[in-house]
Amino acid sequence: MADLSGHIKKFQKELNAGTSSLVLLSILSRSSTPMYGYQIAKLLEESGPEIPMMKQGSLYPVLRALEENNLLNSTIEPSVSGPPRRYYTITDDGRATLDEWLLIWKQTKMFVDTNLKG
Amino acid sequence: MFNTIDNYLEALKNEMQSCDTALTQDALADAREHLFLALEDARGKDPEINEVETLQSIIAEYGTPEETASAYREIERRTTPSFKQEKKTQSLIGRVFGVYTDPRTWGSILFMFISFITGIIYFTWVITGLSLSIPLMILIFGVPFAILFLLSVQGLGLLEGRLVEALLGVRMPRRRFFTQPGLKWLDRLKALVSDRHTWLSMLYMLLQLPLGILYFTLNVTVVSVSLALIASPVIQKFTNIAVINLDNGPVFLPYWGLLLMAFGGFCLLTVGMHLARAIGWLHGRYAKWMLVNLPDESAR
Repeated sequence: MADLSGHIKKFQKELNAGTSSLVLLSILSRSSTPMYGYQIAKLLEESGPEIPMMKQGSLYPVLRALEENNLLNSTIEPSVSGPPRRYYTITDDGRATLDEWLLIWKQTKMFVDTNLKG
Repeated sequence: MFNTIDNYLEALKNEMQSCDTALTQDALADAREHLFLALEDARGKDPEINEVETLQSIIAEYGTPEETASAYREIERRTTPSFKQEKKTQSLIGRVFGVYTDPRTWGSILFMFISFITGIIYFTWVITGLSLSIPLMILIFGVPFAILFLLSVQGLGLLEGRLVEALLGVRMPRRRFFTQPGLKWLDRLKALVSDRHTWLSMLYMLLQLPLGILYFTLNVTVVSVSLALIASPVIQKFTNIAVINLDNGPVFLPYWGLLLMAFGGFCLLTVGMHLARAIGWLHGRYAKWMLVNLPDESAR
């Protein structure tokens, strides 16, 4: 049984590796204002299914990697009561990349669905 | 299991012991930001909450320290570092002359030139800031002034880190580690003053002046001497000016002697390039040790 849950976790992790970047980029492309990590996590929690697809803590390194690849920009805003917040916005490069990714996603989804149906 | 945010951060830090310190610092900053905001949020909804229980459920959603650490490690593994360390075995000649095509060499040389300028700026900034902060302490605005100065030192340290990462290829923090939120002015000053990191950053900045001068001098000397030696055959051949002048007049070397000089110049340049790369490597490690702090070394 432990082995089975290991397989489930591994599969989920591998799936998340690509989809989390896609989802985060898409959320930020739709947002008219810069967003910080916790805000995004809340948004995902509200819209998401009962079982969380990924831990909230895993969002942050993804955001950072996206920024490193120039798909996102970020600014630090100090806050009165707590640690400063890092606000993310999507870059033009990010938007262009998102369009490409969406296309790939659609094709992948179709491919997987078709083959699962047999 | 974790009764406070700091407990969690401590566990996360332990979990990331094998990781790069800069990555750890980033992960801790992210976790601190998230957990703090989530707790604030919960408190805003219901001021009567049981803080420990709430934190447990927040952490359950955020991920255990192991999960969080592995997420950072995973991403770091997939992200290409500034300079990929090439691990291919080269022949002796390849290793000796490969230094000319190694981006790290050129990064180091550029860094050594820039250090001259940044060294002067840092030194002036620190000396001015210190000599203004200390006497102003007797006045009411002395405290905010000192805080601003100490914060500026940490900010400059972060900036220097970006420079080191870009030119020397050493992973440095991408954001600063924040101390306890909601502190009073005087407490904030105390935290900054008792933070080893502040003083190490300041020391680093002061030392950048002599180091910057040394690097600059070394660069200019090696480059100009070796280029002069390399150019010597051309100069004597076309301008008929002797490249060696002794007390008893100019000495015209035979052609093979000139070629030998040029070869010597080329060797010197190659050695100089190796030296620059080695200095860059050493400086990167030194900068990391001086500028990267982990929370147990800073007063919270």
